[in-house]
Amino acid sequence: MSKKRKISLSEEELVLALGNREKIAIEALYDMYSSSLYGVISRIITDTATAEDLLQETFVKIWNSFSAYSAEKGRLFTWMVNIARNLAIDKIRSKDFKNQNKNQELENNVTFIDERKNTVYNPELLGIKDLVGTLKPDQRSIIELVYFKGYTHVEAADELGVPLGTIKTRLRMAIMLLRKHFN
Amino acid sequence: MEDIKAYMESGILELYILGDVTPEEKLQVEAMAAKHPAIKAELDEIERSMEAYARENAIEPADDLRERILSSLVTNFADDRAFNKEPEETGAKVVTMVQPKTYKFYKYAFAACLALLLVSIAALISTYSKLQDSNVQIASLRSSNDKFAKTASFYHGEFDVVTDASFKFLKLQGTKKSPESQITVAWSPVRKKVWIDLRSLKVPANDDTHQYQLWALIGNKPVSLGVFDKSTADTAAMKEMQSTALADAFAVTLEPRGGSVSPTMDQMVVLGKF
Repeated sequence: MSKKRKISLSEEELVLALGNREKIAIEALYDMYSSSLYGVISRIITDTATAEDLLQETFVKIWNSFSAYSAEKGRLFTWMVNIARNLAIDKIRSKDFKNQNKNQELENNVTFIDERKNTVYNPELLGIKDLVGTLKPDQRSIIELVYFKGYTHVEAADELGVPLGTIKTRLRMAIMLLRKHFN
Repeated sequence: MEDIKAYMESGILELYILGDVTPEEKLQVEAMAAKHPAIKAELDEIERSMEAYARENAIEPADDLRERILSSLVTNFADDRAFNKEPEETGAKVVTMVQPKTYKFYKYAFAACLALLLVSIAALISTYSKLQDSNVQIASLRSSNDKFAKTASFYHGEFDVVTDASFKFLKLQGTKKSPESQITVAWSPVRKKVWIDLRSLKVPANDDTHQYQLWALIGNKPVSLGVFDKSTADTAAMKEMQSTALADAFAVTLEPRGGSVSPTMDQMVVLGKF
């Protein structure tokens, strides 16, 4: 798992460099965010080759439409992860992908991936495993559905069989707990 | 201020961060954030926590993917005037070179297979026709071999007649009906064999409805020893007749084709006694 030197910049520096179309910005962007983005894509698309293609598409799209990003509207990662998630969801809902994956249960993907791949070790997040205990199962499942599986909250309400309002409250409570945890 | 708190608690901000809002809601949230620093701060908090959560769930992509993705971005760079010198020949171009290569390879492989198949079929056909020829030759050799074997055994029998001391030769003389007729019979009582010499046969030629019949007279009873023809086509030198151990005399009569049960006495052409 140990990697060669990775380029890391502050978010402000990175945004500036990307805006100036500097070559080093691409490498920094990849080194800083590829694993986080790939984690999200992999949870939506289990097939490794397809997930890798989507990661590439994501970076191409980030690069090509970077002018559409505005730092005032939010953080860079939020913008990027929405691009990645939308590409992955478009893919998984496309006709040919559905045909080739007819027998795969979407439900099993998260645990399947967790068993198969190691998440990245990050010293800043030591003790993070307590998080699993912090979130109640229903809070965890709503985050998994909306954040990692690309459900809209309407679809998630349908899937979990609870009213829309409950979904919204539950999602908010879950994120509140995450905030408390990460602070 | 109450409005803002209720707005934050509605959960719309979380959905906004997750990209799960309608375009109108999106504009509304952005307007609220611009107007109220508290909402802006709240959004930032949510974003940071989700980013941390994503980092916690990060999966390291394969090492070679970095090169692939970076080079594909560098190729995109070529469009930008700032980077239009060398990145031309990286990445995608290599990929486009590889594809027709494999395509060509399969094309050639397929053509080679086809050619090989045609050659094999041609070889098979020629081998098969050679085999047929050989079979025909073997059949004709076998039949001529049989013919030779038959001839050899026949000559062997004739040779016996000449060398075997037990054979007696009897010249049957013509009767009144046909005084010029003459037939030589060779007979071995020990080996019970009777031969007639066709070369020295002197009888009138028989027609298609009649045949000569050889008789052995035992006591006074005639016993048929088979029929034969006087024909120019028959080239055999001697003919073996049916066997008999006893004979006082031999006679030949002209009978209807196929022979008779008893001799027609007025048709007797030759007769000889021991």
